[in-house]
Amino acid sequence: MNDSRRTLLAVLVWVASITGLHLWLNVDWSAVMNDRLPPARRRLNVAYISVTCHLACPVTDYISRHTPAGNLFIPRMFQGFPEIKEALIANEMQAGFIVAPMAIALVAQGVPIKIVYLGHRYGSAVVVRRNGPIHSVADLRGRTIAVPSRFSDERLIVFRALATVGLRGSDVHMVEMAPPDVASALAVGAIDAFSMGEPYPSQAEMGGFGRVLFNAREYWPDFMSCVLVVRQDVIDQRPEAVQALVDGIARSGAWLEGGRPHREYAAEFVGRYYFHQPVGLLRWALTKPLDRVMYSPLSPRREDFDMVRDLMMQTGVLERRIAFEEYTDTRFAEHSDGYNAWRFDPGDSVAH
Amino acid sequence: MRDLRRWLLSLSGLAAFVAVWALAVALSSTHVVPSPWRVARGLAELAVTGALFKHTIASLFRVTWGYLLGVLLGVPAGLLLGWSGRAARTFDPFIQLFRPISPLAWIPIAILWFGVGDPPAVFIIFLGSFFPITVASMNAVANVNATHINVARNFGLSSYQLVRRVLLPAVTPDLVVGMRLTLGIAWLVVVAAEMIAVNSGLGFLIIDSRNAGNRYDLVIAGMVMVGLVGLGLDVVMRRVERFDGLRWSYGAANTADAAEGARP
Repeated sequence: MNDSRRTLLAVLVWVASITGLHLWLNVDWSAVMNDRLPPARRRLNVAYISVTCHLACPVTDYISRHTPAGNLFIPRMFQGFPEIKEALIANEMQAGFIVAPMAIALVAQGVPIKIVYLGHRYGSAVVVRRNGPIHSVADLRGRTIAVPSRFSDERLIVFRALATVGLRGSDVHMVEMAPPDVASALAVGAIDAFSMGEPYPSQAEMGGFGRVLFNAREYWPDFMSCVLVVRQDVIDQRPEAVQALVDGIARSGAWLEGGRPHREYAAEFVGRYYFHQPVGLLRWALTKPLDRVMYSPLSPRREDFDMVRDLMMQTGVLERRIAFEEYTDTRFAEHSDGYNAWRFDPGDSVAH
Repeated sequence: MRDLRRWLLSLSGLAAFVAVWALAVALSSTHVVPSPWRVARGLAELAVTGALFKHTIASLFRVTWGYLLGVLLGVPAGLLLGWSGRAARTFDPFIQLFRPISPLAWIPIAILWFGVGDPPAVFIIFLGSFFPITVASMNAVANVNATHINVARNFGLSSYQLVRRVLLPAVTPDLVVGMRLTLGIAWLVVVAAEMIAVNSGLGFLIIDSRNAGNRYDLVIAGMVMVGLVGLGLDVVMRRVERFDGLRWSYGAANTADAAEGARP
């Protein structure tokens, strides 16, 4: 056999074996098969990222897998909000958890989605260096603060806090930074502070180099950051699937408020199977104290969103005064109000 | 003996780098940057759980298909553009306009077109491969000695025979070099492409470790693996370059090898 034939044969063997191994090791066949079902029978693909603001998504998936009916939807972890936004537009994801201002801005730009539920309340904080010179909001003047996105409530909360001491956004240097990078950036002095959701404030605290300057709720009662959005065509054509999704999240929210054992159990299975984060870090974020981040009540309230919208307009990321009804659909939340928490304790093999 | 000395020399450079790294970590008492020892333990941890194998397979799968598609379409396109002046005048502006755009700039468009998972990553690697291999193929045709073509025509070879018996053998050595360099680019691109919209691959491993709190040992372990696989791919392609049928035009390369061997 000459060199050309040997090379061709080697290439063919390589392509066949690498393709076979990849299909065997890395492809989620349940998701692939789901995408091939008729639309009416398909489970929704739901996007999330590894922050505690989205914790109810993996919790719902994990618990519902232990119910006789099986999982309610297919969760899909992303690395950032822009990719979730694009996957929603491309109809690869039918629902997803994103920051509220981004959802409002997308609707204002004509993207057909609606906010149907919240992901959490509280759970964001501004963190500074533990032994650094910043001890009050006024000390932030002239400092560099990292925020996750220009379309984030974590950015808006900084504006609100600055306003209370007569400062404006232009008095600080705000930079957008991927959440996983902020703790190490603070540790090495690349930034002076960051405003982020959990578990990144906990990571800085646990590492011994960060100190919470203030929690979001101190300047924004009932603070909420991430919301559950669903594509409009899914709402129109499959309202029962959206209702099942919202009910599942509502039941998980109530379950997470069921006390420390549930929080610790959630930290364990979410850290291990979903977020791939140290269980100790999530346990810290979910239990120190227990109301550091909360998962109830999660119904969208007009006054919360009016405030977000107005702050967005004041800070130049929204051009028009979009109405609450344009970007929310509250009927699913209203129907899920009466739901109880999952019956599922650590060690249980079946959930109800 | 000389080979052994060369190996030892190469390893001593690497060992010096690791020693400086370990010393810098120890002296700075940083709790963010991991020591080489922690990285080695991280690599072992990933190997034991099977994650290293699984993610390496995913990256190699995407590179294989993206690169293969790039070569299958880019080589004929480049040969055509190099051979036909009319085709070159028509399509060269397109090539020159799109060539400087980083494949990573296509990420948002790739997600909109192909959704999530393997297809957008393969598309991005395809783009990263297509333009370099097309240009390399065009240049390979341009480098063919015109005398060879004229002699073939004087002997009355048909166009098909000319391409089959003169052009292809003449361009193959340059093409293989172009393919080796393009594979390097494809491997660079896959890691970045896997940082979005996929849940496997070495790029994903790096960003997932970054999300996992203070696990920079796993981040660097992923980087080490990327380097090792990239090195392995380059070694394989260099072996292909040395096939007897491809060595004939490597006067310069042989001279370089000889010079390398003659170095003290």
